[in-house]
Amino acid sequence: MVKIYTTLTCPYCEMAKEYFKEKNVSYETYDVSGDEKAQKEMIAKSGQMGVPVIDINNKIIIGFNRQEIDKALKL
Amino acid sequence: MIYDLIILGGGPAGVAAGIYAARKKIKTLLITDTFGGQSVIASEIKNFVGFKSISGLEMAKKMEEHLRAQEDIEIKDGKKILGIEKQNGNFLVKTNNEEFFESKTLFIALGSRYRRLKVLGEEKFEGKGVFYCSTCDAPLMKNKIVAVVGAGNSGFNAAIDLLPYASKIYLLGRSDLLKGDPVVLEKIKASEKIEIITMANIKEIIGDKFVNAIKYEDKKTGEIKEIKLNGVFVEIGYEPNTYLVKNLVQTDEKEKIIVNCKTQKTSCEGIWAAGDITDVLYAQINIAIGDAIKATLNIYDYLKLK
Repeated sequence: MVKIYTTLTCPYCEMAKEYFKEKNVSYETYDVSGDEKAQKEMIAKSGQMGVPVIDINNKIIIGFNRQEIDKALKL
Repeated sequence: MIYDLIILGGGPAGVAAGIYAARKKIKTLLITDTFGGQSVIASEIKNFVGFKSISGLEMAKKMEEHLRAQEDIEIKDGKKILGIEKQNGNFLVKTNNEEFFESKTLFIALGSRYRRLKVLGEEKFEGKGVFYCSTCDAPLMKNKIVAVVGAGNSGFNAAIDLLPYASKIYLLGRSDLLKGDPVVLEKIKASEKIEIITMANIKEIIGDKFVNAIKYEDKKTGEIKEIKLNGVFVEIGYEPNTYLVKNLVQTDEKEKIIVNCKTQKTSCEGIWAAGDITDVLYAQINIAIGDAIKATLNIYDYLKLK
């Protein structure tokens, strides 16, 4: 299960989403600027507020970090 | 396998070099983490020649597409470069997963990264109220009090990015000059939300779990002042990503690679560089591309004679 916490204006979030599409990984998007519950969830999971935060099967990755994403998805 | 050329970086300079190298049929490998470089965070680029207006992300995509359309180039993206060494006249590039790549020549286009304030609390609160990408993180500052540190164009743009969200924005400049574009300054001065503070020397970022204040010295009076706030956006420019090559090539006092502006050669034989990592006078996408092409053509001439 892949979740991505984003804001609408964040380019690195877009890059991450496109990467998932390219790799045929399905994901759920949460816009934390409009969704307070999602924002709280993201802060609780990552201990910080910067986006994107990516949750891959409970492994929390801050930022579009390809090396960490590849590891978590075993690509 | 020994490549003729390894290109380090996938920003405008790296991609331009890749396209030219492929068309010259130089045996080339391009290594990068992502494409587009620093410019991906720009919401709008209006001076990239041939495009009236394009987002940084869109530009990055077009560049990657153009590069991947070349037949004669190998690309490894998603890679972190961990080390660069000279060995028996060739160059050895180490990436994550313990991979090594060898080449006769190197083109370095690793660009720059956000300059840090280097004050107490900055590192501790990164992402916890200290931010470097206003395009990304401004929407999280809804009804919050924030400071933008830096009164150049990046600072101005960050203040504009924050306008729809923050309840109050302090724009702090180190000198008494506001260096950003006059057009944007007009917008800033017109907003009641934004308060400009000049001659401010940031001393400390304070907080508990998250940032709750900033401390600065008012250089006019020498007084130490504190502002209660929720977010600090650091917008004081960029520093070059030279930490991997500092021992190989000569750099200037700002740690930028010194290049010959005719050929883009560095002080080390076999290494060329272009873009924001060099001592180029103007950090511009269009210039980085031109300089990268100059370098690639010079590398082609060099390899022919070797």
